[in-house]
Amino acid sequence: MRLFRHLQHWLTGSGTRLQVADFVPKTHPLRQWAETFPWAALVAAIDRSFAQRFPQDSTRGRPPVSPRVLLALELLKHEVGASDEAICHRLRTDFAVMYACGIEAVQWDSAQEHFVLPETLAQFRQRLDEALMDELLAIQAATAMEEGLVSPAHLLVDTFPVEQGSQRVTDATTLYKAQKKSSTSSRPLPRPAPRKRPR
Amino acid sequence: MQAHTLHHDLQRCMRRFGRQCRGQGKVLVTLVRQTEQQLLQLGSPIAALAHAAQQGLQRAPHLAEPQRDRLARHLQAALEAQHAISTQSRRLIQGKRRHHCKIVNAYDETVAPILKGKSNCPAQFGRKPGLLSEPTTGFIFATRVPVGNPSDPSYVLPMIAKVHEAIDRVSLPRRLAIHSVAGDLGVNDAALRQALHARGILTVGIPQTVAPIPPSPTQEEVRWSLTAAGLHRKRTPHQVHLAFACGHSRPVVESHIASLLSRGAGHIRYKGLQGAVVQLGMTVIAHNGAAMVRIRQRRLSKRAQKFRRLLGLRHRNVNQINSSKN
Repeated sequence: MRLFRHLQHWLTGSGTRLQVADFVPKTHPLRQWAETFPWAALVAAIDRSFAQRFPQDSTRGRPPVSPRVLLALELLKHEVGASDEAICHRLRTDFAVMYACGIEAVQWDSAQEHFVLPETLAQFRQRLDEALMDELLAIQAATAMEEGLVSPAHLLVDTFPVEQGSQRVTDATTLYKAQKKSSTSSRPLPRPAPRKRPR
Repeated sequence: MQAHTLHHDLQRCMRRFGRQCRGQGKVLVTLVRQTEQQLLQLGSPIAALAHAAQQGLQRAPHLAEPQRDRLARHLQAALEAQHAISTQSRRLIQGKRRHHCKIVNAYDETVAPILKGKSNCPAQFGRKPGLLSEPTTGFIFATRVPVGNPSDPSYVLPMIAKVHEAIDRVSLPRRLAIHSVAGDLGVNDAALRQALHARGILTVGIPQTVAPIPPSPTQEEVRWSLTAAGLHRKRTPHQVHLAFACGHSRPVVESHIASLLSRGAGHIRYKGLQGAVVQLGMTVIAHNGAAMVRIRQRRLSKRAQKFRRLLGLRHRNVNQINSSKN
């Protein structure tokens, strides 16, 4: 119900209501993959961590996109090898991706613009930290152990090198960085918030 | 006046560097080294100037106390940043030629060159994550992305602690435990062995020489392994046999790493150490989902199926009638 409320700006339409599960066969790889995750426990851990580290002062404003959708999109990105833009685009049209994101039903003639923006996904990623990632992995491992699928009795340890820190040097990136630098250096001090008029 | 002249000289040096690189299509390491030396020589009076500026700041009567503190803090931060960048710039890439249009970010102090374990090949510059996985299905229980490039044995205990945290979450009547850990020669460390034995974990899968580990040990080897670990009461000979089999097939971990690399873990695209942790964590969780699909569908190798049978992880066929045939 909560997920539906968060996505109602897209789901509310006047056309036929389509059940997403009807369009994704049970043998679909993404459906089978998505059904292995303990979504409720993962989302609860994220909610708990965010509530501690980023407490909400006000309930005003548009409701956020559910962490269930954002987490599933982030995982799908690595499973199918897509970029932020590509996976957000697929969410608008691909029923298997909708199923993996926990969306149960959609209205076929509703507006689909800006369903989940790639920027929203990047902001969600910025809020994740090492402790939370370890907790998510521990939840997944505990679920697999409870189901009797894996055992921690005998383990292998190894390391592998990965590349980081290299970036493309193009005219576009140079211009972007220069603009960003100039805007931060010439940005005026934040003005104090105007006082609210008493009613 | 002196600061203005110094600033002008430094700018001129960098402009010359830019002109020499123009049209080359790549940044030459020799040129970087030469320019770095020139910049360091030119910038040597900066420390003295900064010291004088700090003293002048303390004596400035027209500045308010908060403003003076803020300026002193900014000056200190600038000096520390210069030190960090100069340290990191001397550690760059050891003569390895970079790809076209790529530069190395020297501003991230958590990145270090990976030199250990390399013979006759250029150094890699980046991160070195560690993983702890199950040998049969490739399910990864824990990962670690450290700061810099520490030694391999330092990875093991933190990851073991993460696995114990996962085990604590399991609500099964029988308590799960880690029986053995296998690794390559890089994790062959006496202190690590002792720490693992103290936790009741066998280390027969960690080799002490380049000689291969036997797949099935003799009675003498089993007895010696249990005596060396001091785990006669805790571990059984059957568990030692499984630990030897696991250590013998240790190279299978390369396939788990290959699975992560195929999901994009070979190149960290997110920013900083936190970005590396998030990207690797998401990749590992996605990989584990795929591993669980394979287990549920019983798409495992014969060896993995046998190993799972020995571990008591046999898949129950719910459709089979187990009642007596008579």
